[in-house]
Amino acid sequence: MGRHYSLLNGPEPAEFKRKLKIAIILILSALTILLVRLWYLQVIKADDLKQRSENNSVRFRKIMPLRGLIMDKNRHIVVDNRPSFDVLYMPSRGKEPERVIEKLKNLYKSKSLEFTYDQPFPKNAKPYLPVKLEKNVGMGKIALVETNALDLPGIYIDVAPVRLYLDGESMAPIIGYTGEISKEELEKDEEEYASGDILGKHGIEKYFDTYIRGHQGAELVEVNAYGKEIKNLGRIDPVSGYNVVLTIDAELQKTAWDAFKGMSGAAVALDPRDGSVLAMVSSPSFDPNLFNSGISTEQWRKLVNNPLTPMSNRVISGQYPPGSTYKLIVAAAALEEGIITPDTKFFCDGSFDFGNRTFRCWQKHGHGYISLHRAIVESCDVYFYNVGKLLGVDKIAHYARLFGLGEATGIDLPNEKNGLIPTKQWKLSKMKEPWQPGETISIAIGQGFNLTTPLQLAFAYGAFANGGTLWRPRLVKSIEIADGGVYKEFLPEKKGELPLSPETFDVLSRALWGVVNEPTGTGKAARRPNADVCGKTGTSQVIGLPENEKVRREKKIGVFQRDHALFVCFAPLKNPEIVIAVVAENAGHGGSAAAPIARKILDAYFEGKKKVKQPQIVAQGQESAKARQ
Amino acid sequence: MIFLKFDRRIFQNFDWTLLALVLGICTVGIINIYSAGYSIGDRPFPLYLKQIQWVFLGMAFMMLIYFIDYRVINEAAYIIYGISIALLVVVFLYGYTTRGSQRWISILGFSFQPAELMKLTVIMALARYFDDYKSNEPYNLKELLIPFLIVILPFLLILKQPDLGTALIIVAVSASIIVFIGVNWKSLAIVGAGALILMPIGWRFLKAYQKERLMTFLNPDNDPLGTGYHIIQSMIAVGSGGIIGKGFLSGSQTQLKFLPEQQTDFVFSVFAEEWGFIGAFVLIIMFMCLIFWGLKIALHSRDLLGTLLSFGITALISWEVFINIGMVLGIVPVVGIPLPFLSYGGSAMIVLMAMIGLLMNVSVRRFILQR
Repeated sequence: MGRHYSLLNGPEPAEFKRKLKIAIILILSALTILLVRLWYLQVIKADDLKQRSENNSVRFRKIMPLRGLIMDKNRHIVVDNRPSFDVLYMPSRGKEPERVIEKLKNLYKSKSLEFTYDQPFPKNAKPYLPVKLEKNVGMGKIALVETNALDLPGIYIDVAPVRLYLDGESMAPIIGYTGEISKEELEKDEEEYASGDILGKHGIEKYFDTYIRGHQGAELVEVNAYGKEIKNLGRIDPVSGYNVVLTIDAELQKTAWDAFKGMSGAAVALDPRDGSVLAMVSSPSFDPNLFNSGISTEQWRKLVNNPLTPMSNRVISGQYPPGSTYKLIVAAAALEEGIITPDTKFFCDGSFDFGNRTFRCWQKHGHGYISLHRAIVESCDVYFYNVGKLLGVDKIAHYARLFGLGEATGIDLPNEKNGLIPTKQWKLSKMKEPWQPGETISIAIGQGFNLTTPLQLAFAYGAFANGGTLWRPRLVKSIEIADGGVYKEFLPEKKGELPLSPETFDVLSRALWGVVNEPTGTGKAARRPNADVCGKTGTSQVIGLPENEKVRREKKIGVFQRDHALFVCFAPLKNPEIVIAVVAENAGHGGSAAAPIARKILDAYFEGKKKVKQPQIVAQGQESAKARQ
Repeated sequence: MIFLKFDRRIFQNFDWTLLALVLGICTVGIINIYSAGYSIGDRPFPLYLKQIQWVFLGMAFMMLIYFIDYRVINEAAYIIYGISIALLVVVFLYGYTTRGSQRWISILGFSFQPAELMKLTVIMALARYFDDYKSNEPYNLKELLIPFLIVILPFLLILKQPDLGTALIIVAVSASIIVFIGVNWKSLAIVGAGALILMPIGWRFLKAYQKERLMTFLNPDNDPLGTGYHIIQSMIAVGSGGIIGKGFLSGSQTQLKFLPEQQTDFVFSVFAEEWGFIGAFVLIIMFMCLIFWGLKIALHSRDLLGTLLSFGITALISWEVFINIGMVLGIVPVVGIPLPFLSYGGSAMIVLMAMIGLLMNVSVRRFILQR
């Protein structure tokens, strides 16, 4: 290999010239082969193949998969699928869509059926993309279209699976709904989705869409000139989506929903031992089945513009001042910081002067000399004004954050809100104003800038109840394949620890027990024999400052400006199994409006537990009876 | 340093013919992708617009490469080769999978197919090797060991993805270069015999669908719904176009989506259906001009390196054109090779444009390098 020479400055290599000639000949012959073949196909066989292309009656069709079922913890199906018959128009098959649609309309009229397609026919309809005229039509219309198919060129009936939401409104804020993919969603992921795909738009349907969706199948069918199927030539079956098993107890969910009786508000029940959500309702709600039969623009506008926001899930995106339920956190902070002891007393004469302002206690005659225990049981505001003044806003915020407030809990749902726990720094950077000491006084009783979601309250109280572990709330227990095998299991996940001393836990949980079980407690309405319910009431002000309380109460105020009632509780005192947060909007006091709702959920929970035990015995009895036979 | 010295001749002798040919073919390609995607439905960002974007991005690379003397670029040939291999290994380890093949990696949010880049780097590495070890005698087996390793490594990595088409193209181009540079006939016979022996073993490593495709090619009518469906529908599309074609946006086979992969591997049938024999003839002639122009550049290059680079690139384009169109017309098995400048694809377009930049580079330096 040492025979190096440089072609540079040397003669043009004659050898390459010869080889390039051969290359040219080879390439020419290759291209000639292509051209001959083209000539053969496009000229000699042209008529034959043209015929075949015109008669090409083979249609390639996508088959939509069934979305996975959604079940509650006891495997009761809450979301199923059912067939929906749609009326479609294929532009390539008909010539005058307007005229054909008019004809269909008249046909409907003759049978006094209503034609729901009210838009003008789209001008830029692509020839081979069907236009959906009506969704989810009844047998009458199907029969009418099928029998008159010859007079309605281009119009045909197609069947597609749609969602059936068995628990409609009560579950809607959790489950969400499905719909056709929007332009924005399509833009995000062009590889995964195609236009016309159905996907989850909200809640579980959206958050777990990749699991629930399944895989599309395809089908080759031979059709006649009218587009009617003659023969099925081959098919790739669609793969159904995975089933989702929720942590929700459908019975409890229903009880919680019924408890609101049309009132606005939200309730959430968690298992404090592992963060599973047992029930989650937000009222008012919407019927997710509406979206299946093609919701009209008007209906949609009504839903979206409703001031009561039926489409939002208040449990995770409703942000309310926590009111007196915040006192647990302030009390824990004060005890831990050594600012007070359980025996520290303050004097409450019904008001508290700070600077040039007067803050009132809800008990206008005052509580007199009052200790921490009674201050929580009777929800004395003045006691906490004093504590708050000594603690300062940043100390309170520090503990609130330890309780998991001020940030999303990380539940497996889209659109969770963070809430707000104000600090001096926050106000300076957000509002460009320094913190006013007076604002701390409002913060101490959970008013002012404070915002929490009902879920956060349940989360915080749950951590307190179980002795200090913050379990990430979760709605989905497992994802399963159609035959019941587990595909993915979601285990409890620790989000943090609550570093409180055992004394603090002890003092405060006794106080929370007192709120419900002592004669002067504000949460008596949630009392339940043998359940040792512990809780805290709260009232969150929608407008105005505490100092204007009196004026505000006396004034006639609109429904939307009335206070929200809050109640957070857990039970039993020893080894709690359930923690509940209730917000009843514009309903007044926590003790009178929210606690009864919590009571109903508690009743259902504890009664349900008894019931579960009994059927097991019955079932065993039956089995042994069978064995005997 | 030659490459840094500003030289007016680099502009005076710019190869306008080459640029015009390439841009002409690209324009045909974009119009064709527009039609192929016309009835797919509302895509927020249609593929033809993306393809235009790739053409421009590719031209940026083309000009960048144009200005640096190819002999300087080739100093880095092995380094670039090493990087490409590394990228293929990354694909193997972390690449993401679409339709059953693991071919893609994500770089700065862009999806990229390193196998496309590999086509160019193998050519560069081989050119570098043969330029380093020039010989008047045909090369023997021992001397061909390193070129063999240069080819076999990417071949196996790409075959594993699996991407049979690209793997075969790399072998075809490398074989063309080696035969072109001159090889001992005895060695060639040994390699050929070896390949024949290895073929049955290789067959076992093919994926089921690849075997099926090769078998179907032999008799498409046996399986009109499976793999044969592609070939038959493609032939119906081409043939029904007739002499003058069905007209832009009017190919029923295309618009009804009978054609598989109509924006990528089967773009030619879209074109042939809508523009007929006349259109297809013109397109093939355009490709022929491009190929011959490339060979002319190879012939007139002032050094062996330039000759090998331009020959390799031209050979690659020739093979791809022949295999792709042959596949669409049903005379070559369906192996999934894109049609240069016409098939949609970002990585392929950018690499092709870079290759054209290298061709121009060789073309213009004929006037600059002294004999």
